[in-house]
Amino acid sequence: MNTFRAARFALRAKPTASFLGRRTYADAAGPSDKIRLSLTMPHQAIFKGTDVVQVNIPAETGDMGVLANHVPSVEQLRPGLVEIIEEAGSTRQYFVSGGFAVVQPNSQLSVNAVEAYTLDEFSIEAARAQLAESQKIASGQGSEADIAEAKIEVEVLESLIAALK
Amino acid sequence: MLASSWKAAGFTYNKYLQIAARAIRKSLKEEARLKAEKRGPLELKYVKWENGKQGEPQNLPK
Repeated sequence: MNTFRAARFALRAKPTASFLGRRTYADAAGPSDKIRLSLTMPHQAIFKGTDVVQVNIPAETGDMGVLANHVPSVEQLRPGLVEIIEEAGSTRQYFVSGGFAVVQPNSQLSVNAVEAYTLDEFSIEAARAQLAESQKIASGQGSEADIAEAKIEVEVLESLIAALK
Repeated sequence: MLASSWKAAGFTYNKYLQIAARAIRKSLKEEARLKAEKRGPLELKYVKWENGKQGEPQNLPK
């Protein structure tokens, strides 16, 4: 159990050379140094079983980098940037609205979100205008539900604006 | 943190996701936004049939 904990802890940190060589779980599927990524939304699949090198996800418990042979886990996502490092070494970034990431034992990673867009599809002015409005509602005299709704929006938009800068 | 505020307000996780997704759609550039906002609104109605007669259509609470 102790070694499992240590491995999990190590994998949570940003990747280092030392654990690239480590085998923790299944060795079977796909090329052993790649992770098979599916990035899907209800209306579209951006990645569908594509082999990539590394995926960084904004989990509720903290940002984590997922490489091949990661310990299986289920992570709830915060609104934030999913970063995908592809085989050619290029990086792709998507801002997701929140959802779940499931790391399966055979180096498969499924990231499910309601909305995911590349950063160039956002308008920072629109985000800022919305943020100002939501902040006003959040600190206003509205009903508890309205305030809670505005607080969620503030959190999402602050994260988005930080990513766009 | 965030989790406590939406849970405290009695929101379901689905409701929370829906609000977060809506905020993202509204922040998109014009062209992408118009396409995306079409999938935002969702409505469900149900009707109960009794003794072969249709009852009043009801909105499913969000």
